[in-house]
Formats: sequence, C-alpha cells, structure tokens
Amino acid sequence: MSRRFTVILCCLALALSAAPTMAKDFQVGFVYVSPIGDAGWSYAHDQGRLFIDQMDGVSTAFVEAVPEGPDSERVMLNMARKNYDLIFATSFGYMDPMLKVAKKFPKTIFMHCSGFKTAPNMGNYFGRMYQARYLSGMVAGAMTKSNILGYVAAFPIPEVIRGINAFTLGAQAVNPDAQVRVVWTKTWYDPATEKEAAKSLLDVGADVIAQHQDSPGPQEAAQEKGVYSIGYNSDMSAFAPKAHLCAPIWNWGPFYKEVVDAVRSGTFEPKAYWYGMEHGIVDLSPMSSMVPAEVQKKVLEEKEAIKSGKVVVFTGPVKDQDGKVRIPAGKAADDGALLGMDYFVQGVIGTTQ
Amino acid sequence: MNTALIVPLLAAAIQSGTPILYATLGEILTEKSGVLNLGVEGMMITGALAAFVTAQLTGQPALAFLVAGLTGAAVGGIHAVVCLWFLGNQVVSGLALTIFGLGLADYLGTPLIGQTAPGFDKLTLPLLHRIPGLGPVLFQQDVLVYMAILMVPLLWVFLEKSRWGLHLRAVGEHPEAAAAAGIGVLRYRWIGILGGGALVGFGGAYLSLAYTHLWTNGLSAGRGWIAVALVIFAFWRPGRALLGAYLFGGVMAFQLRLQAVGTHLPSSLLLMLPYLLTVAVLVFSSWKNRHTAAPASLGVNMEPND
Amino acid sequence: MIRINAYKRQELRPWSSCLIFLTAVMLSLGVSALMLKLQGKPALEGIALLFKGALGSRWSIEDCLIKAIPIFLCSLGVAIAFRLQIWNIGAEGQFALGAIGATWAALTFPGQPWYVLLPLMAIMAFVGGGLWGLIPALLKLRMRANEIIVTLMLNYIAILFLDYLVYGRWKDPSSFGFPMTLTFSENAIVPKIATTELNWGLAVCLVCGVAMWVFFRFTRMGFELKVAGENLHATRYAGLPYEKLVCFVMIVSGGLAGLAGFLEASATINRLQPSIMVGYGYTAIVVAWLARLNPLTIGIASFLLAALRVGVENLQLELQVPAAFGGIMEGLILLTVLAGTFFNEFGIHLRRRS
Repeated sequence: MSRRFTVILCCLALALSAAPTMAKDFQVGFVYVSPIGDAGWSYAHDQGRLFIDQMDGVSTAFVEAVPEGPDSERVMLNMARKNYDLIFATSFGYMDPMLKVAKKFPKTIFMHCSGFKTAPNMGNYFGRMYQARYLSGMVAGAMTKSNILGYVAAFPIPEVIRGINAFTLGAQAVNPDAQVRVVWTKTWYDPATEKEAAKSLLDVGADVIAQHQDSPGPQEAAQEKGVYSIGYNSDMSAFAPKAHLCAPIWNWGPFYKEVVDAVRSGTFEPKAYWYGMEHGIVDLSPMSSMVPAEVQKKVLEEKEAIKSGKVVVFTGPVKDQDGKVRIPAGKAADDGALLGMDYFVQGVIGTTQ
Repeated sequence: MNTALIVPLLAAAIQSGTPILYATLGEILTEKSGVLNLGVEGMMITGALAAFVTAQLTGQPALAFLVAGLTGAAVGGIHAVVCLWFLGNQVVSGLALTIFGLGLADYLGTPLIGQTAPGFDKLTLPLLHRIPGLGPVLFQQDVLVYMAILMVPLLWVFLEKSRWGLHLRAVGEHPEAAAAAGIGVLRYRWIGILGGGALVGFGGAYLSLAYTHLWTNGLSAGRGWIAVALVIFAFWRPGRALLGAYLFGGVMAFQLRLQAVGTHLPSSLLLMLPYLLTVAVLVFSSWKNRHTAAPASLGVNMEPND
Repeated sequence: MIRINAYKRQELRPWSSCLIFLTAVMLSLGVSALMLKLQGKPALEGIALLFKGALGSRWSIEDCLIKAIPIFLCSLGVAIAFRLQIWNIGAEGQFALGAIGATWAALTFPGQPWYVLLPLMAIMAFVGGGLWGLIPALLKLRMRANEIIVTLMLNYIAILFLDYLVYGRWKDPSSFGFPMTLTFSENAIVPKIATTELNWGLAVCLVCGVAMWVFFRFTRMGFELKVAGENLHATRYAGLPYEKLVCFVMIVSGGLAGLAGFLEASATINRLQPSIMVGYGYTAIVVAWLARLNPLTIGIASFLLAALRVGVENLQLELQVPAAFGGIMEGLILLTVLAGTFFNEFGIHLRRRS
C-alpha cells in the first residue's frame, strides 16, 4: 500500500514539475454538449473536427458531455488559459459563458454554434438545416400512403420548430393532404424514449417517421413496424436499412477549415455565419433505392434550385395552425423571423410547448 | 383517445413494464431475505451494458442475457460484501452502489454510444396472435417478456412452497431465531442478494437487447427506483408486482401517445405522470398497510458473533 | 484453513475514522487508475492530472471553492436528516425548488435594491426548498410512506416543474425560444468577493455552518435530535417530540438545499435554466455520510468532492476521459468508507483451524 502511495507521489511531483514542451501548433478546442458517439449532433461536429485535425500545423482537442452553464465556462477558461487559438462551442446554452470568457481572453477567437451574440473576438455560426429538412419533407410526402407523418422531436426550441415547419412545407409541396404529428421527448438522446415516442406516432397511423433526435431509436421503431423513416444529423441507414429513406445531415468540416484559415491569415470577422446548402454545410444524404426515381429526380432538382437561390424555403403565403398568415404571399421570411420561430405551420398537429 | 389505440397502448405497456417487472421481482427476493438493496438502478444499468457488450462481441443475445444476470449479481455482490461482511449501513451502501454503478456504466459505455447490438425481436405465437384485442397485446411480444411473466409464478413457488424459500423468509423475519434453528443467515442473505441482483440484471438486459438495440448513458432512466417503490406497492408479493410493473409501463407509454393524438397539455407536466403515480401508489399502499407486510428484519444487519 | 474471526473492540480509537477515510480514498484512486488503464489511458498520469486540474493553480482552487458552496449547503441539510435516520435523497429536488423560489423573487421585483431583493430571494429559496422537504416528512408521518422513494420521485417531479416554468411562462422573450429566464437584474446577483471569482455565497456557507454547530452544541432541540437519532425506539418512550423533530429536520434540510439553489442561480448562472441541475444533491449524500455531523468535516469533504469534479474536467480535456469517471470515484469512496467503518467497531483475528 505504501509503495503504491510513494509511486503516486513521485509521479505527481514529476507531472507537476514537467513543463509542457509543445511545438507551436495552431490549437483548436471543441466543447460538445453530448457524447460524440451518439451518431447525432456532437458526432457530426466531431467529424468536422477530425477534418481540420488533418490540416498541417493544426492540433485539436475536445471535451464532450459538458453541461451548459458554469461548467462550460470553466472548460472554456481552461482551454483559453492553455493558449488555445480557436475555440468552438457547439450548443446554444454555451453562449453567455463563452461571451464571459471571450471578454477575458481577447487574443483567442471564439465561435459559438446556434446562438446570436458576438464580440470583437467572438462570432456565431449555424447551418440552414431547414433547407435539407424541406427536401426530406418532400421525400416523406411522396412516400406516405396514410398522409400522416410522425415527427419525434426533442425540445420545443426554434431550430427544432423551424425544422418541423420546413419538413411540413416540403411534404405539402408534393402532397397537400399530408399532416405532421409531433411528439416531444424532452431529451436529445434517449433511445428508449425516442423509440416509444415513434411507436406512439405509428399507433396513430403515421407511416413515415422523422426525427429531431440524436439517436436512431425512432428508426428502429419504424423498421420494426415495416414503414419508412427519415434520419437526422448523419446517415442513419445502417440502423434501419429497410426503413431509412434519407436524412438531413451536417457537414461541418469545410466550414471549420474556412474558419481556421481565416483566423490564421488574420481575415476573420466576428459576425453571424449562417450558411446553407450552397456552402455544403447541410445536405441531404443519398436517398435509398426505395424512393422511386422520379421522386428522387424532383428532390434533386429542388435541391439545386435552393442552392442557387432560385427557391427560398420560407416564402409566403405561410399560415400558422390557427390560420393566421405569418409570412405574407411572395415574401421570404428574414433571418430574424426564422431564428425566433415559435409557431407551427398549418398541417402540424401538436403544441409548441 | 379512441379505442383503436387501447390495444397498442396495452402492448406498449407490457414492453415498457417488463424491465421494471424483472427488477421488482429481484428486489422482492432480496428484501424477503431481510436486506434492503437500493442499488437497483446501478445493477440494472451495468447489466444492460454487459448484455450489450456481450451481444456485440458474440452475436448471441441469449448469452448476453445470461451475462447480464451474472453482472447484476456481481454488482449486488458488492452490496453483500459491504453489508453482510462489513456491516455497512444498507441504505447508504445501496445508494453508493447506484452512484457507482451509474458512473461505471456511463464510463465504460461512452465509447459504445451510437452502436447497435443484435438482440431479441418480437415473436408471433401462431394462431394465438389472431385473437382480437388480446392477441397483439399478449402474443406478439419477444421471448424476454414471456420469461418475465414466467418468473412470477416461479418466484412465488420458490418463496412460498419450497424449503429454501421458507428458510429465506425466516431469515428475513427473525434472523436470530433462524440462526438458533441452524439456518445460515448470511448464506440465505447472499442468495437473496445475488439472486435478486441477477433478476435486476435481466431487466437491464431487456432494455439494451429488446426494448431498443442501442446503448445510451442513463438507459435505465429511473426504472430501478420505480422498482423499489413497486416492491412496497406489491406488498412483497410477486403476483402484484406483475400488475404494478405493467401499470407503470402503461403510464410511461401513455403520455407519449397522448401527445401523438394531439393535446395542448405541456409535455413537461405529462412526463411527471409516472413519478406522481409512484408517489400516490406508495402513499396509498403504505397507508393501507397497517400491519406491515415487509419482512420484519428488513434493513437491519446482524452483528457477527464468534 | 484460515478462519477470520471478528471481535468487537472495547475502546473506539478516535483516529481510526481519519485513517479509514484516507485508506478509502487511496483505494478508490487505485481502482480508478485501473479504470483508466482499462480504457487505454495512462493511469498514473491521469491521477496526476486529476490533482493538477483541481489544485494546481489559484484559479482552479477558486473553482473548487465555488463548486463546494452548493455541495456544502446541500450536504449540511442532508447530514441533519441522516442524523435522525431520515433518508433524504431529495436534495436535488429541494435545490431546484429553491432556485425556482429565488427566481420568482428576482423576476417579480427586479427593481428593488440589493439589500431587499437578495434576502427576499434567499427567503423564498428557503421556503421553496423547505416545502419540498416538508412533503415527504408529512407523508412519512401520516401515511408511513418511505421517504427514500418519495424524496427521489420528488426530485424528478421538481426538475420537470423547473422545465415547465422555463419553457413556458418564465421564458425570456429575447432568448429566441430557448428555455431560460431573463438574466437577473444587477440587484439580484450575489456579487463576487473583491477581485476573485469567488462569491459571497461563501459567507452564507460560513454562517450556516456556524449556526449548525451552535444548534447542535448549545440548543435543546439539537440535543434531542442527536439523542433521537441514536435510538429511534427509545425516542417515543422518552417523550421526545419525534414528529416535530422530523418536520423540523426536513424543512431545514430542504431549505438549505434551496439556499444552494438560490446561490447557483444568482451568483453562478445569473438566471434560471435547466442546466442548473448537475447532481449536487446526490454528491451531498456522499459528503453527508462521510462527514457525519461536523460542519468542519462537511466543509472539507465538500471541498474534496468539488475538487474531484474540477479535476475530472481537466482529465476530460487532456485525456478525453468520459465525465462519468467522477461518479465512479464518488461511489467507490463511499463504498470503501462504508466497508472501512466496520474496522472502527470491530477488529479481526486470523486463526488457523486444523
């Protein structure tokens, strides 16, 4: 017992006295809100991190499953004190802590995902996932026979609501009778609950299940029932090959590279970056062979139209569940309206609570 | 809520309630021997992880199920060591086990998040499943559900009708008298803890092998605690445990279906239902239960004599 | 064959608790190092990083102290309850209700000067937490309901209630729909001490700790509590007011956890949001059991467990160790201490049997 103790003491002394001798790499830190293995949100960000990790002279590190609030502030402080050059925080709740840390470390560049605050050394970024959702809605609308689409959703925050609305609009574009039913699970990652939620939607007659969740639980449920499903965050076809039609996916790598290059060359601007499909930051995964060829063609054509800007997803007339016109005919909703979206469009059955 | 939804709801209730049933039966066994083991949550989730890993490595769900039972027993064994040998306070030891078990499963399981493992799928019993109403509810479940239902009479027979069960119960009611009669108190308590732990582990296996085929941190989601409460609701009787477990499974499944049908109730309040129900059930059972059905010596360690 | 025989000690050795605690911590560190090895991480370097991350610099020690504040208050409350053999597992929920109470005050009276608003928030927090503690007490006394289950279920219910408020009526309109309240006004934020990161919550801890020590040392009720906890059966015969004690204990227990919630919401996050819940209530159980009823040892143990949390964060950053590592250590420490306490009262003989 005492020998182990002595060994520990010696190693402690060594560790504390050893000065870190690292080459001056460009250090990038990532803060994730959930474990990276979830095949979902954090997983997609980590794929982006691995992308830039391969760049010359760049080294990356990450901390996963960091709760929002003071813990995240400490993690970011830790990174900043270790002289990281660039820090990405990938959840809304990290916004205020990041702002506090940014004020203390003006030399470090901070990028916050899905928020809206900036500082001279802090920008925010997001992707127009709703564009890919719209396309997935088109696929769902074309493939449904019961005209009931089920949506398993995590939390009623604007990005989720926006996604549901875009999905519905896409479905209605090819199938005006389609309706979308929403069940809230109040969790980002809990396969059991998500699967149960999907089953409850299947029980009311949904024959396509979509999700804004990080686990493939709903996909499993859909496959077991023998109906279709739409994934999220990454291609989930491995989990439900007989059900998975397509998935709106993230592709953070090229964007992260762009930021790293900008910071290194000194051209970085601390503003709001909200790129869409034209930048490749969001995309629709390849559609499964179960989707008929003419549907795939139509969806791909629409994708090109969105990329080129010919089609803007949230263009009026758009009515909410009570019939009130929210986006007037011919007008495209501006970013502010999109970022704060808190109503469901007509055709969605569920509450935003 | 129309009637067409009742049948799927009942089927879902059974699936959702099965892990709770395993755990409740296990805890009944343990408590009948006089030991209070609050580490059910920890045993359940380590069992779930063990099952998941085994299924991944070997591709044999049946083997994985057994391994889960062994794991649950092993983790329960820690409780046995601390309480039976070292006379540790049973309440705190169980809590520590829960904290430790959850931490261990989270820690070892984090790299596995997002992967799948082969598990159990639903069977369809020929002919029986065509019975309207009951058919899909009872006869289209996976084999682990049926095993759980089987465990109920098995446990009852063991406890009430077998000699070992008699000794076990004696040890739980009057350990001093049992010791005087030559019954090994520690031995039966070990049996209670290990056997109970195995059943709880089976419940965990259900979560990662049948309920879903995925792993996540916190897969047990408080079901272990509901099981502890259900033991009291069941008056320590296996038959009532069946009723209680499925009732709870039903409530957990119900609030999601209510949303699917379309409700204006905020989901946070709906999610409270299982926990509110647990409190209500517990209060009612405890109040009604003037002459306690709990084993008289529950939670009290026996001091060693030499 | 070697036979192990236990015998009851005649005199209790006072230093044995300390020794047992240290041994338990060492053992847990050892097993945790093994866990690291299992995952392919360097074991000894990991343990070193744990220490360095927690105690290696001024700001990390400050972090430990900041984290220790809510743990200390919750533990104080839980320890009082444990002393009466009331198993209060509900510190999490009482913490949440305290935060809710304080937030209500902050949102309803943002304009009041700080010397009015802060005490009001503290009172509402104590009331909220205390009420949440009183419910299981009453259920236990009137309906004989097991408080372990009730407090635990109330935890889940409290968190969901917090969610409901923060997603609904209290949601900040400018937060783009994200579940959080408005940032508290200046008057509602507990200020920091001088130029450090520490906040005046430390003073609250000090006051509560001293108050508790005084209570148990010098008041009659404190004495009754200690005696009642020793022997519950004798309590009723001795005419001690068991029911009153139970209610008192649970209200204070819940109230203290509520105060912790108030401090977290006010000083650390400056608003109410779901991520305020990080499991302090459960850590408090570990501390309360380890440290018994001495506010000083509770303080030390709170600091140590807070240091564990901070150290684990460093481990995450440097070695990508999952956050659950901290939970393993907490559970292990408690288990080993539980087992080790055996040796306080008993020694063992090793006898050879032929």
